[in-house]
Amino acid sequence: MKKIILLFLCFSVLVSSCKKDDLIYDLNQVNATSYNANKNKLKTIPQYISILFANLFQKALSANELLEITNCIESIGDKEVAHEIVLSNFMNKSGVTLPSDSLMRADVNAFIEQTYKRFYVRDLTEAEREFFLNFFESHPDVSVEMVYTAFSLSNEYQFY
Amino acid sequence: MKRRTFLKNTALGAASISVPFILPSGRLFAASGSRMADHVVFVAFAGGVRQQESILQRYLDDSQDYPSVGNIMYNMFDGLPPSDKIVYGTDGILSGDTPIPKLLSQTLQQQGTIFKEVNASTVGHYAGVNTLLTGNYMYSQGLKNKPSMPTIFEYLRRHQGVKATKTWFIGNGIGNSLPLLDYSLHPEYGSQFGANFLAPTITFGDDGEQHLKNAKIYHPEDELDPMYKMKYFLDNVWYSQGKPLPNIGNTEEEKAEIKQFVKDMFEKKANGTIAHPPSGSNSDGQTVGYACEVLKRFKPTFSVVYLSSVDGCHSNFTSYLQSLHSADHAVGHLWDYIQNNIPEMANNTTLIVSPEHGRNLESNNIVDANAFTGYDHSDANSRRIFNMMIGPGIDANLAIGNENNQVGDIINITPTIAEILGFKNEMMGAGLTASNNSLFDLI
Repeated sequence: MKKIILLFLCFSVLVSSCKKDDLIYDLNQVNATSYNANKNKLKTIPQYISILFANLFQKALSANELLEITNCIESIGDKEVAHEIVLSNFMNKSGVTLPSDSLMRADVNAFIEQTYKRFYVRDLTEAEREFFLNFFESHPDVSVEMVYTAFSLSNEYQFY
Repeated sequence: MKRRTFLKNTALGAASISVPFILPSGRLFAASGSRMADHVVFVAFAGGVRQQESILQRYLDDSQDYPSVGNIMYNMFDGLPPSDKIVYGTDGILSGDTPIPKLLSQTLQQQGTIFKEVNASTVGHYAGVNTLLTGNYMYSQGLKNKPSMPTIFEYLRRHQGVKATKTWFIGNGIGNSLPLLDYSLHPEYGSQFGANFLAPTITFGDDGEQHLKNAKIYHPEDELDPMYKMKYFLDNVWYSQGKPLPNIGNTEEEKAEIKQFVKDMFEKKANGTIAHPPSGSNSDGQTVGYACEVLKRFKPTFSVVYLSSVDGCHSNFTSYLQSLHSADHAVGHLWDYIQNNIPEMANNTTLIVSPEHGRNLESNNIVDANAFTGYDHSDANSRRIFNMMIGPGIDANLAIGNENNQVGDIINITPTIAEILGFKNEMMGAGLTASNNSLFDLI
């Protein structure tokens, strides 16, 4: 009996001694979204418009207006042109919610991060951060409206 | 034949005229055919036009059992108008009792060649226009799909290196999947060779007034340039990971021109100076007015103007007659406007007119306010249409075929356009059209 107990103890020690603890470094864990956030579906015109409107006005577009704007976009063949016209029409309306240019300039880093989150629903890469930091430095007159327009018209924004 | 004389006269000079140039793809291109005209405007009557009320000039006699005959399209065709039971005009004392005065001193029939009896085998709206634009009967092509075969726009742009703003597809509305016909999904052609589509009754109608009219025109250097630089960076990043977007290839300058055009049209509309036909109150008239503005601004090499008000024939025969009459007036105005208001296109433009298909011999049971019955499009009579072409090198006052002698098919139209603009060999070489014959080959 003693032998059996001894063998059992030896076996237990051997098994437990092989278990490896997970390494934990002294850093906070971050949940990062993937590079293109797995976007592979093209938004329909109503999807694009309703999301764009919500992004700019922080509220939902009415069903009637959604239909009217969809018709407008369908009536112009070059969708880039159509989107640009509709978007600049939005920018001319009261109620569009944009941070001020001075706020943007006060913390460009934070503004870029928030803009990527707002429009692309993902984190930016260091290369993207570098581009925009340099761009803002070399283009001191760039406004929030211009940045938001560029993001709204970009191809990534057409996908989800 | 004038066309043969024309070809003979131009044959010797063809080599010297064919100046090589670089296509957008970077390939060196030399035109293989000489052009008969530098511009083609193709008017497609959508919705189906019966031979009986159009070219056969039978008015109510062959549809409503009422013995009144006559020509209600007297800008296009020779022939006297009806003298009894006038309902095809604009509203005077009674609805439709006031015919629109004739616009052209010489009918289009007298100025060009007419094919009186032509076959059109597809009788649906989308399928009909699809056939007109691709030269193929798309029997298996459903609605809400882009054409599987290249459109005439794509042949032109690919084989002649024509800019996007030199090809326009102007439609009366966005129904019946019409906006999908600006380019095909064919792997050898596609969006980069597509046309600029415009449905002006919507762009400049109530919806456009609400959502397009107040668009900003950004400063090209101070605002647009940095915006586009950011956009191009974002797009380049996306291309390394994501899918490309279809693009018809308007350059930045062309896009700016289109945006300015849209803004200008709203101003012209507010000032009442759009080039509408004198009697242009219906949507076809409105469409032709804006088409005139597109032609004047962009001087397109090729444009399609799609008129669809005649589609009301399903339920309102009186309205159909009025729409035919108005469409004739609008086409007369379009031709007159090109000749008298666009010097770059005058005497250098070919006009082609064709319905997308016909309408039934037998009426349906829907009765309108004049007790006239409507007509759908499903029997053999719906496969009967006429074709007309007017322009440099085309015989004047020539009529081909008749009710008992069908000559021509709707699929001959795309080769005809290609021949006029000098790329028929390239189009035939692609081997993607149902017929190699143009209408000229049938004369």
